[in-house]
Amino acid sequence: MNKKIGVYICHCGGNISDYVDVEKVRKSIENDEGVFLVKTTMFACGDANQKEMVDDIRRNELDGVVVASCSPKLHLITFRAVTERAGLNKYNYVHANIREQVSWAHSDDKAGATEKAIHIVKSALAKVRLAESLEPFKIPAKKAVAIIGGGVAGMRAAIELSNMGCPVTLIEREHFIGGRIAQWDVLFTTDQTGKELVTILYNDLISRDNITLFTGAEVISNTGCIGDFKLKIKVTPRFIKENCHKGNLQKAILACPVEVNDEFNFDMTKRKAIYHNFPSEYPHLPAIDPKNCTRCGECEKICESVDLSQKEELIEVQVGSVLMATGFDPYIPAEGEFGFHEFDNLVTLPQFKRMIELNDSKLIFGGKEIRNIAYIYCVGSRQTDGENKYCSRYCCTSAIHAAILTRKKFSNIQNFHFTRGIRTYGKQEVLYAESLKGGDIFLQNYEDDPPVVNQQNKMTVITVNDILTGKREMSVNADLVVLVTGMVPRADNSVGSLFKLPKGRDHFFNEIHMKLRPVETVIDGITICGACQGPKNIMESVNSALSAATKSFSYISKGELEIEPIIAQIDNDQCTWCRVCAEACPFDAIHKEINGTKDIAVINNSVCKGCGMCLPVCPSDAINLIAYSNREIESMIDALAGD
Amino acid sequence: MAAINPEFRTELKKYGAFDFNACYNCGNCTAVCSLSTTEDSFPREILRFSTLGLQDDIKSSLKPWLCYYCGECSTHCPQEANPGELMMSLRRWLSAQYDWTKLSGLLYRSLPITIIALLITAIGVLAFGAFENFQLEPIMKFAHQFEMIAIASVFVLILLPNVIRMWWFILKKPGVKVPLSKYFVEIREMVDHMFTQKRALECDKNRFRWFEHFILVIGYLGLLFVTVFLDWFASKNIFIISFGYLLSTIVFVVTFDFVSSRMKKQKEISKFSQPADWLFVIWLFLMGFSAFIVRLFIDTGLLDKNIWLYFFHLIILVQWALIIVPFGKWTHFLYRSFAMYFAKIKA
Repeated sequence: MNKKIGVYICHCGGNISDYVDVEKVRKSIENDEGVFLVKTTMFACGDANQKEMVDDIRRNELDGVVVASCSPKLHLITFRAVTERAGLNKYNYVHANIREQVSWAHSDDKAGATEKAIHIVKSALAKVRLAESLEPFKIPAKKAVAIIGGGVAGMRAAIELSNMGCPVTLIEREHFIGGRIAQWDVLFTTDQTGKELVTILYNDLISRDNITLFTGAEVISNTGCIGDFKLKIKVTPRFIKENCHKGNLQKAILACPVEVNDEFNFDMTKRKAIYHNFPSEYPHLPAIDPKNCTRCGECEKICESVDLSQKEELIEVQVGSVLMATGFDPYIPAEGEFGFHEFDNLVTLPQFKRMIELNDSKLIFGGKEIRNIAYIYCVGSRQTDGENKYCSRYCCTSAIHAAILTRKKFSNIQNFHFTRGIRTYGKQEVLYAESLKGGDIFLQNYEDDPPVVNQQNKMTVITVNDILTGKREMSVNADLVVLVTGMVPRADNSVGSLFKLPKGRDHFFNEIHMKLRPVETVIDGITICGACQGPKNIMESVNSALSAATKSFSYISKGELEIEPIIAQIDNDQCTWCRVCAEACPFDAIHKEINGTKDIAVINNSVCKGCGMCLPVCPSDAINLIAYSNREIESMIDALAGD
Repeated sequence: MAAINPEFRTELKKYGAFDFNACYNCGNCTAVCSLSTTEDSFPREILRFSTLGLQDDIKSSLKPWLCYYCGECSTHCPQEANPGELMMSLRRWLSAQYDWTKLSGLLYRSLPITIIALLITAIGVLAFGAFENFQLEPIMKFAHQFEMIAIASVFVLILLPNVIRMWWFILKKPGVKVPLSKYFVEIREMVDHMFTQKRALECDKNRFRWFEHFILVIGYLGLLFVTVFLDWFASKNIFIISFGYLLSTIVFVVTFDFVSSRMKKQKEISKFSQPADWLFVIWLFLMGFSAFIVRLFIDTGLLDKNIWLYFFHLIILVQWALIIVPFGKWTHFLYRSFAMYFAKIKA
């Protein structure tokens, strides 16, 4: 079939034409097979040229178009859209990059650059001659979303999806909902407590019919993909019957002989094996922690609502999209980091925040009233030697807020901040000003010259070379040292591995594009939000949660999904199932199926990205990549290698 | 190693400083200051010392005296930390440190004590008047003698020892080694600054105020000379009499402008006034004005019928000589000149 092809060669305002003789390129191809028209243009992407292209395609009934211009990353989509506007299937458009690959790379050799540009345009012509019109695949999509993580981001996303009429399965690993914010007391800027926020969200959540909440629940397997994720959820029992008699339960908690570190208070206090984190916690039902419970039966004797016979359940849900909101862990300083675990009066910022809430009129630590508090910033963040190069964003604000709260709640408090430069960005800056005006003292050190914590004669002395005082060595006697620790990814991130979610260099879950696609992942149908993606404060977590909710819903809202048609295809006759293609596939898109008498590889169309990793490894050459067939690629190579 | 002392802030606040700890060390104040140099950079550094409570560093520093308070730093401070007013407060605090009697500090810190001191001197003057049966002539004669005695004894007993203490804090204690000859060579510098305050001219916004200040100093010192050495009130010489009128007019006109600008609070320098500032300008105004009226009454023969007027003038004069000069803002004039002298010696 002989195509009518239109070719446009772009000057890019001189970016290309200063080094490539575009007129020579035009002449060299104008008589090539199928070329109906060749034009040079100052800016191919300009409105006028786009209109001209549409007219050309319509008037001359072109059925192939090539634009030789910049990188396809910049304008492939632009020119595909032009062909669509002209009524031509967009896969009949081929992009030739003669700017990044030619003019910019060979500005020292104009003749050579022109020669190379000609070859690249010729190879694009070779491809467009063989190009076929393609239509996207359509697959049904289950109109339901699973949200993993019941913190502020997960809960807020659940409510938003519910508003959109989308059924939600909210899966929380702990027995209580709210995640980290349940641990925080008064919050900037609203002065609401974290618990109040949890209350607002929880009451909203349980009033909705289309949200199903599982606590003590973990996703243990996933089969399926975008539009049809099949999740298996393991639900650990609370060992307490619903609608129980609460008065007796309180007695049962007192009777429990097992005491373990209370993780809710970051191990600063003890709790029983039958517990709730605080009395008004949601759901309003204590839980028994099976790891520590000795099954002694003391609680059962007191309270008929205790039921140690409850069993673990496995539940399967089917959803069209999964929204990850699994949150963060606070950084735990290494042994001896600023004297951590060596000296007895060092706590981390999360511990300190719990201390402020747990102490009433006096701030007591280790039996001693606290007056002078030293805060050492950027512990576990912005590390020069360690792996955490990132800034944890929330800690400056949080530490300063905690310092102000401490000063307001307890008397005679003096705060000393050992910082590496304060980053109370945006509206949070008012806190910094308030802290300064209130008399907090800020010292600043260079990253390679951190403050030193020392203990002599029961006095804890922090020394630093303060760059705000001409690097003079300054010292402070502190009753308590607060290590302002940042955020790190969850220690147990197995749920991420389950979905093969990629992680960034910081080990948080990675989005596709930080700016333009900030909540999508390369795993289709899975969105991420909140601090599992990287350090965020509550406001930013909720922002991203709403964004992820909308994105997750947009995948499935039509009840069917359109999938890019450029994917791999298996030639069933050639395939002998040697599994190498499945191993090479980074997206788990290939599995084995029985076809008549033999096993063959089958591509899951909704998972395949068309990356082509499976093609070269196939020993029997049984795989074809649509739009990048052997014929097409070979003809392109011929054109590139030709005269 | 220097220990941080946050308590110093509380102490400084008694001398009028406020909000200086809002500073986030941007350095705008130092950048806009027309007097700050690379070698002697201020006010950020001294503000930092104040925040951290590095009292020894402040005590040995001349920088508070090098500032002539144009107020540009406070205008440009993004944190409204008022570095200009901190420098003023530090001058008060420093003069309290130099003062061996410790009375300066007491008066700066406490308005009630200042009022009591003013009342005691007023009562003393009246008691003396009663002792002399309110006879104008012997009282005026004694008052003239008192002026000379007061000037001499305040200088010898208070001001000289305090200047020596200042020298000790600034040059001796930090161990600055200077050849003795330098002390003689640089005396000129001190006299220069004492009479001209020429450094204030380097402040971009200060030119008119410098002129006011300059003629006030000339007027004040001239009036002192005319009343003490030429005995203006008793003089019959027409030149001396007219000269006295001119000088006292300069004093009360310029101070009237100072008082009214402190009331209007439009300029940075006049926005914040401590009792010591009011006391200084008001008493100087009253002194010039009452001297003018007293001489006017003498010339018109009305003074004998209006002895109260002379007593009013005398009370102001005694309060000035015994309170404001040795323990009040007058000393800033002295310390500033010596600060320039010491700075030159140190350099």
